Amino acid sequence: MEWLMWFTKFENTKPLALVIFFTVFCLILLYVFGDRKRGERLERHKHIPLQDD
Amino acid sequence: MTTASVTANEQYNYEVIRKFAIMTLVWAVVGMLVGVYIAFELAFPVLNFDIPYITFGRLRPVHTGAVIFGFGGSILFATSYYIVQRTCQARLFSDGLANFTFWGWQAIIVLAALNHVLGFSQGREYAEMNWQIDILIAIVWVAYIVNFVGTLMKRKESHIYVANWFFIAFLLAVALLHIFNNLAIPVSLTSPYSYSLFAGAQDAMTQWWYGHNAVGFYLTAAFLGMMYYFVPKQAGRPVYSYRLSIVHFWALIFMYMWAGTHHLHWTAIPDWTSTLAATFSIMLLLPSWGGMINGIMTLSGAWDKLRTDPVMRFLIVSLSFYGMSTFEGPMMSLKDVNALSHYTDWTVGHVHSGALGWVAMISFGALYHMVPKLWNTRMYSDKLINVHFWLATIGILLYITAMWISGIMQGLMWRAFDDFGNLQYSFVESVAAMHPFYVMRGIGGVFFLTGVLVMCYNMAKTIRQGKVEPAGAVPAAA
Amino acid sequence: MKHDKIERNLGLLMVLTMLAISVGGLVEIVPLFFIKDTVETVKTADGKEMIRPYTPLELRGRDIYIREGCYTCHSQMIRPFRDEALRYGHYSLAAESKYDHPFQWGSKRTGPDLARVGGKYSNDWHVQHLIAPRSMVPESVMPNYPWLMSPLDTSDIADRMSALRITGVPYSKGEAEYRQNVQTFGEEVAKMLRIEDAEANLRAQAVSGNYDNNPNDITEMDALVAYLQVLGTMVDFSKFDDDYFVQFR
Repeated sequence: MEWLMWFTKFENTKPLALVIFFTVFCLILLYVFGDRKRGERLERHKHIPLQDD
Repeated sequence: MTTASVTANEQYNYEVIRKFAIMTLVWAVVGMLVGVYIAFELAFPVLNFDIPYITFGRLRPVHTGAVIFGFGGSILFATSYYIVQRTCQARLFSDGLANFTFWGWQAIIVLAALNHVLGFSQGREYAEMNWQIDILIAIVWVAYIVNFVGTLMKRKESHIYVANWFFIAFLLAVALLHIFNNLAIPVSLTSPYSYSLFAGAQDAMTQWWYGHNAVGFYLTAAFLGMMYYFVPKQAGRPVYSYRLSIVHFWALIFMYMWAGTHHLHWTAIPDWTSTLAATFSIMLLLPSWGGMINGIMTLSGAWDKLRTDPVMRFLIVSLSFYGMSTFEGPMMSLKDVNALSHYTDWTVGHVHSGALGWVAMISFGALYHMVPKLWNTRMYSDKLINVHFWLATIGILLYITAMWISGIMQGLMWRAFDDFGNLQYSFVESVAAMHPFYVMRGIGGVFFLTGVLVMCYNMAKTIRQGKVEPAGAVPAAA
Repeated sequence: MKHDKIERNLGLLMVLTMLAISVGGLVEIVPLFFIKDTVETVKTADGKEMIRPYTPLELRGRDIYIREGCYTCHSQMIRPFRDEALRYGHYSLAAESKYDHPFQWGSKRTGPDLARVGGKYSNDWHVQHLIAPRSMVPESVMPNYPWLMSPLDTSDIADRMSALRITGVPYSKGEAEYRQNVQTFGEEVAKMLRIEDAEANLRAQAVSGNYDNNPNDITEMDALVAYLQVLGTMVDFSKFDDDYFVQFR
């Protein structure tokens, strides 16, 4: 369990977290908004609530 | 009853939704009435009347239980059953289970309130219910999950609409939180008392992981599910960006769970957990505001509806309050701000700007949209909706302004030093200074409660006029 | 993997949701049960634990504290600030609530913090203040608690201690556990932790302490005042360097 202590040091975890989260954030944005076709497919579903009557 | 025989053949099970909708109104009145009463107890302690059952300490969990689990729970059951049926074009999985969740849930709220008044409490905020009730909650919740997921499995459309994602996250998260936070050893099988399995720092972490995420999933994710259905429906146009709603979903449910420790800043827990929680709280601003913008921008191009449609006004103002409290929250999670705000009325004000401004307002909007459809009629009076809107808005503003002033004043008085380095104020001086603001808060509550009573009258009239219309009439137009 | 799959596959959506909501708790809470520095070591010079479980009477007092919802207005957690040090005393240690099932740190100070209220006021002051707070502090908004002078229910004290024993509080059953407690806490404390003697110990403490100034009955007031008077008094901070507790933070 001693290796866990590495994560309790802010000088280690802060840059690590920053790198991880920024990368993930960019990847998500790229995935969701990067591809026009994928975007159009996703946006199709927004009409579901209006089709229920 | 004739309605019962009709429902069996209907496309959707509306009967259970009608029952939950009515109980939403009942619990709103009960919970907020108790809230107003205990607010005045703090301003005028004579109102405790030396009666054990109505002291602040015992009524406070009655208030939180009735508004969160009674009012909030009933509207969540009602809207989730409504939305899942309509977006799946399928009838509820089981009418029996639906009825079981209705009676089970109402029994839980009543039992909990009675127990709190009698002094049976686990001593954990928002989880005061004793262990037997906790088990009952777990059983009803499983039935709820089975019914909801079962309905989703019957869906006609292969895609699952995003509102239902939020409901799924809410169902799973609440089950997880409820079970782990209520792990306890009963004193005996017949005793209402139990002792938490965890102690001290670990217990505090578990409790605020529960407390914060009850807000995050029960009072936020689930109500966002409601938002993603009712705002587009009421506006008559699809949500602004479906892609944004998906990012919103994953980011929100992932990040919320990390932020609970900001309730324990500067306490006897390891510093790193506190910092981690503050970091995630700041990051939460992104999905929160993403969701708010998504909701509000749904109206883009139809802004005139804000003027013409009072129901729309409820929905959009609730989103504005959501945006405001999700900005205030991360700010209060900064350690330096928290050093001032923690333990003060500022926190109470923050909670209520979320609870009244966001949760209650969007619930009212949903009710005004849904109730006429459930009873196959129109709202009795649009004018009264408008009256309700203004009463509610004035009430909230009075409430949170009073709590901002008193909270910040408390925080500053506690840490004020005189020229000799001594504390400038005794504690009780800060108590005395709160009095006018406690009165003002109570009055804000009265405004809000009056608005709810106006709504109840409007709803009663609506339901009555819905019932006189012949059964089997033409289904309500969209 | 395509996100499209998740949108159509309910099972997958639920599993991924479950994963997403589990990470935070796992990372933040679970380590606290394993990292030993979470709770400070607080021992006397001869190696005895300073922080002990509550005596039967104090425990019943704590139950009443919870019953009346005192935590809705009083915190029991002093933060490491200069003003709080002056007002309330040394900041609270995690160790000081290590036998608190549940914790009572609270979240609101409508009234003052109580983490170190023990010993600050006399028993008589507490009794009078609980019965009629405004007779002692005119500006107070606390309710009156006259019913605390009613008799204390002691019938389930052994069951209560047994339940706490299961959660890990070292109340002892049998000689072996008792001897262990003598080693950890010293004989005087260990005797109070014997579940076999729970009711006798409770009565003895209530009679000798006479917290409610009413020698004839054992009342809820006896228990509550006994509890209030022990709060924050177990650690003798004069025995430690200023820096000692900082290393645990």
